[in-house]
Amino acid sequence: MVDYSVRVSNVSKIYRSGDVEVKALQDISFTFKKGYFAAIVGPSGSGKSTLMNILGTIDKPSHGEVYIDGIPTSRMNGDQLADFRSRKLGFVFQAFNLINGLDAEHNAALPLFNMPLSEGERLKKADQLLVRLGLGHRLKQKPTQLSGGEQQRVAVARALVNSPALLLADEPTGNLDSRSGDEVIKLFREISSTGNVTLVMVTHNPDTTKYCDKIIYIKDGKMEKEVTR
Amino acid sequence: MNYKDLVWLGYNDLNEKRVRTALTILMIVIGVASIVALISLTEGISASIQSSLSTLGPTSILVSSAKASGFTLADTAQISALPNASTVIPILTGTATILSGSENVSATIIGISPQDLQAAVGGNVSIYEGSTYPDSASPASLIGHSIAFPSSSSGRQNIFIGSAVTALTQSGSRSTQSTIIPVSGILNSSNSLLVPVDTSVIMSMLAAQTLLHRNSFNEILIKAKNTSSVVPLANLIIQIYGSNARVIDTQEIAATAAQIVGSITVLLVVIAGISLMVAAIGIMNVMLMSVMERTHEIGIMKSLGFRNKDVMALFLFQALLVGVIGGILGIVVGAGVSYGLAAAASHASSASPSASSGQSGATVRTGPGGSGGAAAFGGGPSSSSSSGSLTFSPMLSASTIIGALIVAMLVSGAAGLYPAWRASRLEPIEALRTL
Ligand SMILES: Nc1ncnc2c1ncn2[C@@H]1O[C@H](COP(=O)(O)OP(=O)(O)OP(=O)(O)O)[C@@H](O)[C@H]1O
Ligand SMILES: [Mg+2]
Repeated sequence: MVDYSVRVSNVSKIYRSGDVEVKALQDISFTFKKGYFAAIVGPSGSGKSTLMNILGTIDKPSHGEVYIDGIPTSRMNGDQLADFRSRKLGFVFQAFNLINGLDAEHNAALPLFNMPLSEGERLKKADQLLVRLGLGHRLKQKPTQLSGGEQQRVAVARALVNSPALLLADEPTGNLDSRSGDEVIKLFREISSTGNVTLVMVTHNPDTTKYCDKIIYIKDGKMEKEVTR
Repeated sequence: MNYKDLVWLGYNDLNEKRVRTALTILMIVIGVASIVALISLTEGISASIQSSLSTLGPTSILVSSAKASGFTLADTAQISALPNASTVIPILTGTATILSGSENVSATIIGISPQDLQAAVGGNVSIYEGSTYPDSASPASLIGHSIAFPSSSSGRQNIFIGSAVTALTQSGSRSTQSTIIPVSGILNSSNSLLVPVDTSVIMSMLAAQTLLHRNSFNEILIKAKNTSSVVPLANLIIQIYGSNARVIDTQEIAATAAQIVGSITVLLVVIAGISLMVAAIGIMNVMLMSVMERTHEIGIMKSLGFRNKDVMALFLFQALLVGVIGGILGIVVGAGVSYGLAAAASHASSASPSASSGQSGATVRTGPGGSGGAAAFGGGPSSSSSSGSLTFSPMLSASTIIGALIVAMLVSGAAGLYPAWRASRLEPIEALRTL
């Protein structure tokens, strides 16, 4: 049996509000091997973010099952999922989702809250990533004092700070100019090249997908095709 | 969850909303301060009452005549013969107006043998200057401190030893008689509850009888052999005199005073408790508001791996922080308020002898049949408190401080429980969608 990092099996997501039903995802199935650099591609509203949230265990599928490292996520309770997210998962949200009350370095260090590290060690880890992402001069700024691109890079640093085994990035370069975007992709490829991290990214950029091991195309909540290289 | 993070995140959020935090803390401060102030004041007052009573001695029984004719030596002889009566002291009390220069002060005249004085007024009364009076017909007297140093002359001495004052008393039904009273000594101010020493003029029994136009006396102070014989002896005296005399023993007064202070304490603490409950509702309201405002943040934290109990701990910690800060400030404010009130009360009461002379007027209530049924020695506790002998300092005990802090934390913790629980139960994706 193959050692899958992620296995999605017949996943559907249906949103109901009153009589209206939105089928955001319909019967999606695919697998990512450990260490894959994978992309999810599709037009706006096709269900990419919905799928990422389900992979990130913060949303639940209406039908089907998501296995992470072979474990069915629907059998994990809230604390087990939280523990999994804190140890193994990195998430770059499409909407950044930074905490406005905390400065850049504290935002980036937040996923380390439960680690047996001193505050200084945690901030140092966060600072190293922020410097790498060109934010060395913005460590003490609050999100409201940062540009969209800067906020996105803080969100990327936060997703990487706990050295995740599964990194999910929902359009991580959407707000970046090509140079900063390239830096993020370079960083991702470097992390991916170690072979220990499975990386799933939502992107529209064909330049990015050319590095990918596997690309999932979805449209109107249905899987159109998958391409493995 | 990491303890330092908890402190940092909790503090950071409270610091972000300073005005709201300050107002929430203020609610706890008011509740805790009122509890601390009320408890320390009532404890101080009851301690002061107890110490005043103890100067009179725990074995004292005071018998006041309810008849105009009063007591005679036959009465003291009869009481002396009772079992367990060790000392029997006849006392005559009445009122007179003392003229000294332009001053008009209402004073309590106390007639008592100088040998018995110490036993009657207790150990905390001492002579400021001069000496005691002779046991003769001479009206030479010891003058109370508030009469010698009236507040109307802003505490300066008005009456000196070797000089004399004039006492106005009523003889017959209308006519006023004046008597020259040589000053043999002046008393120090004393904190005696039952005997208004500060506003008294104390002289020999014979002199007082002459001054007040009687040949009897109206009070008998009895010391029982020991504390356990006080109540049986008092009961015996009640049997003998029936409605002709009022019998009060210190133990009974102490018990009554403790009961009154106790029920006042309960009432006040209930009121203070209500203010704490209002504070709790306020905290809960603020916390619920905060949970609502921070729903999106809670979603972020949960999606980054915060467990339910981490989120719960974060909000509970905030509530407790408010409770601890409010509790400490409340104790400080409460102590300040109680000491301030005590100082104001003693200031007001030391300024009141002129008020008390105004209250009883320039006329004199003594003379044959004029002694009335005063509740206790020289007119009872009410006259003594209005004449300024009730001074007290608040008692702030360690158990009050610790108790107040615990109550503050319990109240804020309990108030934070429900909002914290609500926050911890939010689903990450739902919370993230809330902006
Ligand atoms: N909470 C919700 N309730 C109802 N419908 C929803 C909800 N969330 C998403 N949808 C719908 O599900 C569909 C997929 O949304 P999703 O956010 O996954 O799209 P997307 O592929 O990420 O789009 P984009 O590229 O614009 O980010 C959309 O039609 C959207 O309207
Ligand atoms: Mg999206």
